Amino acid sequence: MTTYLIRRLFVIVVMAFIIAFASFILLSIAPGGPLQEIAARQSTTQRNDLDLIERTMKRYDLDIFLIPRFLRWLTGHPRGPIEIGGQQFFADLQVGCLKEGRARLVYPDGRVVEVNCEKPVFLRDLAGRPVSDGIVRLDFGKSTQILREQPVMRLFESRIVNTLLLMGISTFLSIMIAIPLGIISAVKQYSRFDYTVTTLAFIGSGMPTLFMGIMGILIFAVLFKEAGLPYLPAGTAESPRDAVIPLFGTIKAGSFVDRLWHLVLPVTILTIFNLAQWSRFIRSSMLEVLRQDYVRTARAKGLIERVVIVKHAMRNALIPFVTLLAGVLPALFGGAIITESVFNYPGMGRLFVASLIAGDYNVAIGFILISTFLVLIGYLLSDVLYTVVDPRIRLS
Amino acid sequence: MATATASVEATTARPIALAKPEGQWTIVLRRFRRHRLAIISLMFIIVVFIASLITPLIAPFPRDAVNPVMRFSPPMTTDTETGKLHVLGTDHVGRDTFTRLLYAARITLSVAIIVATLSTFIGMAVGALAGYYRGVIDGILMRILEFMSAIPTFPILLILASVLNQDPKLLPFPDFLVNFVSAIMLIDPQKESRSVLVVIFVITLFGWTGAARLMRGMVLSVRERDFIESARSLGANNLRIITRHVVPNAFPPLIVAYTLALADGLTAEVALSFLGLGITDPTPTWGNMLNFSTQFMLTHPWAPLIPGIPVVLCSLAFNFIGDGLRDALDPRLKM
Repeated sequence: MTTYLIRRLFVIVVMAFIIAFASFILLSIAPGGPLQEIAARQSTTQRNDLDLIERTMKRYDLDIFLIPRFLRWLTGHPRGPIEIGGQQFFADLQVGCLKEGRARLVYPDGRVVEVNCEKPVFLRDLAGRPVSDGIVRLDFGKSTQILREQPVMRLFESRIVNTLLLMGISTFLSIMIAIPLGIISAVKQYSRFDYTVTTLAFIGSGMPTLFMGIMGILIFAVLFKEAGLPYLPAGTAESPRDAVIPLFGTIKAGSFVDRLWHLVLPVTILTIFNLAQWSRFIRSSMLEVLRQDYVRTARAKGLIERVVIVKHAMRNALIPFVTLLAGVLPALFGGAIITESVFNYPGMGRLFVASLIAGDYNVAIGFILISTFLVLIGYLLSDVLYTVVDPRIRLS
Repeated sequence: MATATASVEATTARPIALAKPEGQWTIVLRRFRRHRLAIISLMFIIVVFIASLITPLIAPFPRDAVNPVMRFSPPMTTDTETGKLHVLGTDHVGRDTFTRLLYAARITLSVAIIVATLSTFIGMAVGALAGYYRGVIDGILMRILEFMSAIPTFPILLILASVLNQDPKLLPFPDFLVNFVSAIMLIDPQKESRSVLVVIFVITLFGWTGAARLMRGMVLSVRERDFIESARSLGANNLRIITRHVVPNAFPPLIVAYTLALADGLTAEVALSFLGLGITDPTPTWGNMLNFSTQFMLTHPWAPLIPGIPVVLCSLAFNFIGDGLRDALDPRLKM
């Protein structure tokens, strides 16, 4: 078990590293960087400010080679020569190039080296240069477009609670509803209840969440309001001013009830989306279990049907569901992006889409890294949970 | 004499004709026809497909024709300039919604078909190779599949689409692809083809894994069977065994997967364009028409239904057809 966990942790670290590196490559080739901004400004003013270019390159680490730049972005190191016991090592290691061209380097010890770089950058030059804390310490750099010069993490802090609330509540509700639906549907196979549930689940999983959201707004926000019925808000997380709801009363802007009121529609849409898939999964898993010999044995020894279903069948039917739960985490992030966009809900998903449209790639990459990390943790948890719920499985 | 031989032929021919067994596809067709929803769905898809094929003939207005005095006009209003009827009204800048819906059908359906075909074929090839040869190829494939199932693909797909759309130099598409999509989707090769190709590229990039996993599993189970052994003993080489014996046997679930891939391709394009990161205005797709109509939803609440209903109906129809095919192709199922 311990060896297994260590190996899984190792795999997760490797995967996170690959994702981080790929993200960094994407970030460095993404359009709209600081140099392009300068180039665009210079072409309009007809000025060629080389000094400004070099200063900008230094400020954004653009004069450093890809690998050391990636390390600085990821960990915040190297920050200069490595000091061990007062002595500096690798101070003369070339880590970058400020200006390309041919140059002869004359070292203090008399060596002469020809390099393809007019102004090389050495490790000693990095001492004292400002650097981020690194991705590993959750420093995703600064936002460039959405909130200029604000740390990305501060943007996330204002949004992440909203997203966790949305995803948490809808996941909880989905589990609470999907399990009984799937179980009853399987126990009463081919009954009217079963047909209704399977048909609705089929339609629910075939219908895009996007459209369900739009229909929700149309019916409960627009038509209900026009008809003078208690309506639901069409979007956002809080009302700007107090709202008067027919047959219900006044809802104070920014109060707890107000926030709950705004969550109803998006949570319902996400829940329906999950329900459709999970109830089908649980139904088929339960049908499988009901055919097993131990269920027949349980019946044969005279147990009442409820005990057979709940204690013998259901417990086993839910085992595969535990792994499914971790597998849906990536889909949940995707679903949250669309749902938040439809409802204009100020969560991480909408921030992500807004950052992509604005070209604010520090924010976008931060979102990818955080969601990847959460998903990987989810997989690890589901592996552990699997052994807890099913003692037959020994991880090795 | 001549009549005698003819009668002999007739009598010998008859028992053979009677004994001829029903072909596999006849059975499949007969079973599929019993699935009423699937048949209705298929007919619906065919109607939409034909409408999108003859779009230039039946579209009442030019695609991007703007009438600024007729913004948000309701369905069945007469155009002030041409006197023609706006069957489904006009959009936020005064373009005919029905015309754009037809052109959008052509683009959205083409994207879905191309994406589904490409990803199914790539998945089939990769899965067949990995399943048949196993060893290192299989190991690499399995690692890739594992990796892709453990990362949130949708956000990554979005960020790739955004980066590739904003900087054309990052991924130049060859001219024949540009001309191909502009020809089948009736769009401008210089201005509009790129975002369409980007959307096709990113969806396919993450879309082939399902077919690959399915194909690999099928091949792994088929390759141990006796008829593969006998084909090999008759001297068939690997290529022949894969293309003539392994792939046809793995076919039925792949057809089902292809139909469902059509639904996925459709919703993926709609989602991308809805978020403003896929195909953008003025190129019409159901996704970006939804995007604009939802922006004005509080004042014009019915507008999103016009592009929304075809999206839902097509998505559900593909699902129903897939379901019908699954039932029809499964020989274990007695109907």
